Amino acid sequence: MLGNPQLRIFRPTFNLTLVRPGKEQPPDTVQFRIPLEMTKFDVRNYLEKIYSVPVAAVRTRIQYCTNKKRNHLNQRVKRPDYKVAYVQLAQQQTFQFPDIFPEKDQKHEEGSVEEMQEKFMEDERQRQKSDPRRGGVTEWFGL
Amino acid sequence: MAVSRLTAAVCRQFQRVVTVSSHTQPQCATQAFSRFHLCQRRQTYDSWWFRSSMNNRALHTSCVRKGLEEFFDLPENWGEQTVKSGAPWTAKQLRVKSNEDLHKLWYVLLKEKNMLLTVEQEAKRQRLPMPSPERLKKVERSMKRLDTIVTEREDALRLLQTGQERGRPGEWRRNVFGKTFWYRFKEHPIPWYLNSRYKRRRFFEPSHVAPYTRLSLEKYLRSKMRKDKRQKRNQKRLAAMFPKKTALA
Repeated sequence: MLGNPQLRIFRPTFNLTLVRPGKEQPPDTVQFRIPLEMTKFDVRNYLEKIYSVPVAAVRTRIQYCTNKKRNHLNQRVKRPDYKVAYVQLAQQQTFQFPDIFPEKDQKHEEGSVEEMQEKFMEDERQRQKSDPRRGGVTEWFGL
Repeated sequence: MAVSRLTAAVCRQFQRVVTVSSHTQPQCATQAFSRFHLCQRRQTYDSWWFRSSMNNRALHTSCVRKGLEEFFDLPENWGEQTVKSGAPWTAKQLRVKSNEDLHKLWYVLLKEKNMLLTVEQEAKRQRLPMPSPERLKKVERSMKRLDTIVTEREDALRLLQTGQERGRPGEWRRNVFGKTFWYRFKEHPIPWYLNSRYKRRRFFEPSHVAPYTRLSLEKYLRSKMRKDKRQKRNQKRLAAMFPKKTALA
């Protein structure tokens, strides 16, 4: 056998972030943000070994982020670059990015700070609303 | 007292779970651990062993999705303002664990970190506050401590077996600017005298740089002297303000 032995990483330090795709993707495509040093083979092995997700294809691209923004000292501030991986799942599986922040009815405890804040906000909103007896007519029309 | 006994019992239970499942499927076993002792948040033991019967929440259109589900929190935590989580692992707690347990814990922490990063990015996308962002710091600290303990064990083993202090060989060298630094060796297929790019990289300081090295050394010594004098002056001032006779009285 020629060449160096197979590179094996125990305790990988790579972090994958699943992101909602900006543009419409096919149903079997999952979009990840990966560290710049990761390759397509790394992504495939990572998902197959750690998450046991069957991977058919991986395509990557590097997103360059701006160095144009300036801070209060007029120094250029770089937004860090990142690599995006488009992973297509094998075995005709599909994935739809779920809604992680659904609207939930919160019921605050009696006498807590949040309850008082909510009440205050409700009162404010009531005050801002126009007089319902005017029947939708704005204040511009006098009387 | 009762709490410590409870935690000890729970730990023993998890140890047993880990040893039983280690020869079957390491991925299932990783879920038996969690970031803290009293596994309140996730009933990982239950959900992994009885996944099909209990709590079968269908998220997506197709079949088996337990792989990508791990990138998200438990469905009952979606939309919450705060999510409860325990304390991070301390070095003292981690030193007691075996190498297999630490290996599995690393992957548990890695998956947790991926999940938190996913939630963070989605929160930024939706312009909403992320629920309990302190979880990220806790996981990062736990992973850092785990890493230190594994390197400690590796160093100890290497010292005992070979007597080498470092895993990667290196030596002190002087660069062109007169600064002494630790040069870490790289592996090359050819010797250094055939490597033209390596020969262009000079590891000696030219003669005209020597005065600047001397000046920087003088600067460093001056700053060290000033710091020592400042500390001595401060101690003297404090001793004058609070003499020892008053302390005894």
